[in-house]
Amino acid sequence: MLKAPGSLQGRLLRLVLGTLAAVWLATALATWFDVRHELDELLDGHLAQAAAILVVQQARELEDDDDRGIDTPTLHRYAPQVAFQVFHEGRLALRSANAPLVPLVPMVAAGERFQSGLRTVTIDGLAWRVFAAQGAERDVQVYVGEQAASRAAIVWAALRSTLWPMLAALPLLALAVWWAVRSGVAPLRRLGRSLAEREAQALHPVAAVGAPAEMTPLLEALNALFGRIAGLMDAERRFTADAAHELRTPIAAIRAQAQVALGESDDALRHHALEATLAGCDRATRLVEQLLTLSRLEAGAAAPMSTVDLSDLARRVLADAAPEALARQQAIELDAAAPCMVQGDATLLAVLLRNLVDNAIRYAPPGARIRVALARHMGGVRLVVEDSGPGLAEAERRRLGERFFRVVGSGQSGSGLGWSIVRRIAAVHRATIEVDRSGTLGGLAVEVDWPA
Amino acid sequence: MRILLAEDDPLLGDGLRAGLRQHGFGVDWVRDGRAAERELRGQPYAAAVLDLGLPLLDGLDVLAAVRRAGITLPVLVLTARDAVPDRIRGLDAGADDYVIKPVDLNELAARLRALVRRAHGQPQETLVVQGVALDPAARSVRLGGTTVALSTREFDLLHVLMLNAGRVLSREQLEQHLYNWGREVDSNAVEVHIHHLRRKLGSALIQTVRGVGYGLAREPRPGPAAPC
Repeated sequence: MLKAPGSLQGRLLRLVLGTLAAVWLATALATWFDVRHELDELLDGHLAQAAAILVVQQARELEDDDDRGIDTPTLHRYAPQVAFQVFHEGRLALRSANAPLVPLVPMVAAGERFQSGLRTVTIDGLAWRVFAAQGAERDVQVYVGEQAASRAAIVWAALRSTLWPMLAALPLLALAVWWAVRSGVAPLRRLGRSLAEREAQALHPVAAVGAPAEMTPLLEALNALFGRIAGLMDAERRFTADAAHELRTPIAAIRAQAQVALGESDDALRHHALEATLAGCDRATRLVEQLLTLSRLEAGAAAPMSTVDLSDLARRVLADAAPEALARQQAIELDAAAPCMVQGDATLLAVLLRNLVDNAIRYAPPGARIRVALARHMGGVRLVVEDSGPGLAEAERRRLGERFFRVVGSGQSGSGLGWSIVRRIAAVHRATIEVDRSGTLGGLAVEVDWPA
Repeated sequence: MRILLAEDDPLLGDGLRAGLRQHGFGVDWVRDGRAAERELRGQPYAAAVLDLGLPLLDGLDVLAAVRRAGITLPVLVLTARDAVPDRIRGLDAGADDYVIKPVDLNELAARLRALVRRAHGQPQETLVVQGVALDPAARSVRLGGTTVALSTREFDLLHVLMLNAGRVLSREQLEQHLYNWGREVDSNAVEVHIHHLRRKLGSALIQTVRGVGYGLAREPRPGPAAPC
């Protein structure tokens, strides 16, 4: 499952500030340890040196005067953090005011062997760094100690001066990120607003003025979509206009004929007008059906595909159409021995076949021959509908399939929609259509090829 | 009254022809633009009903060609093209009326009568010449208040003469106005009808100009219509 993406601004803010804080923390830690280490070395060195001085000095002074007080005055405000003791022959000879009476390193008092060098001890709950040293005669032992906490305080003070500005910078940075993102996504917000304010009919491209480069693909895709929708709507509008236009003439014919019938006193003429009225109704019905078929096809409703035997379909279509052909004394024949299977929608394919056969019957003269042939061809299926009629001139053949194009002088009141429908159905089935002069019959030959 | 109908749709053309005949028009029907132009150039039609979406030559082109040739007959465009720009184009190309399909036959006939009337400078539907009143819509003729019964041909002949009052029309012109294609015309048919009209309406109405033809004397223009 995808998590909801949340706000871009929030994500950026968290990411930038989190990373920054982590980097700073790491820097601070590294600085802490580094400074601490260097400081330890330096101060330890100082401790050792102080101890050495005390040892040398003590060896000399002890010979001069043995009865001096052992406490020395505190000379500096940091002095309480630093302490020293000088033992002579096991007795405390000199100490700083804050040093205890027992040796800073207790083990020595327990009679163990004296160990010179650095160590960290805890006295009264406080950590001390102590350097122990003894004179050459081993009767003078010097301890110089320093509170460990004072070292930490120094490091902390050093860190503090760099960390504070960093901490103070965090809110400023947050503000900067917030502002950058906000101004960065402003074009997006503007786009959203301008899209929301659009009328449903407004399909002009969105202007890319002031949009950042990152938005260009989105804008391009959006404008391409607008273009496609505009094309679709244009086609739809044109279709509606064409359809309304095309219905006017049949309706005008029905009205005129009906009115003639009303006003006619001669029985034969009235009968003729009524017959013509009915014929007009039939024509209008056919036109409406064709328009519906075409509009469904143009709407791109995906036809459910199944395996269809075109031979079987052609047999049924020809059986329906044959009476019409026979009435016109036309010889109509089907040449489809083997089953010819194609993938498609049986209803649509039947409409295609019926339109082609109807056209042949209507536009071939009485007495003409009409042949429908189905055969395997180049791994696919080829349908040929040809007749012995006058055929079509090259220019007329090219215009076939233009919506509402009619062949002049045919004496037929077709709408010119049949061809549009045939072409659409073929396109839906990825079949190709060729219109040519029939080699065998001399009239029009229509070849429909379904690829393998 | 003889008119040309240019319409490529078989059912509509047939219906219009029959319907206009019922209204007393003589109708010649052509089904493409070339034929329409040819007929309009060659024959003296009283008016034309012109479809625009004609094969071979668009109706607008027919109209433009006819107008360029100086033919001024009234043309009623009857079309499915209902957009305002189409109407404007049609009227600008020289149409006298622009009617969208479908149309009521009575209205179409009335519009044609009005066009013909106006083309002859007649403001009123009823034509009156020397006390003879002819009502083209009712196809009735009255002489001094009493209705005179006329045959179809007699009525048409009188109608043409009255529309062209003040002009002399030759026998051939009258024949062309009266007879549609394919109708047999007797050599003396016009003379026979003139004779009948003179008998029914008085011999002074229609004057003969020997060697030229026939005509009605134009009356002085009527003044403003008196209030009823």
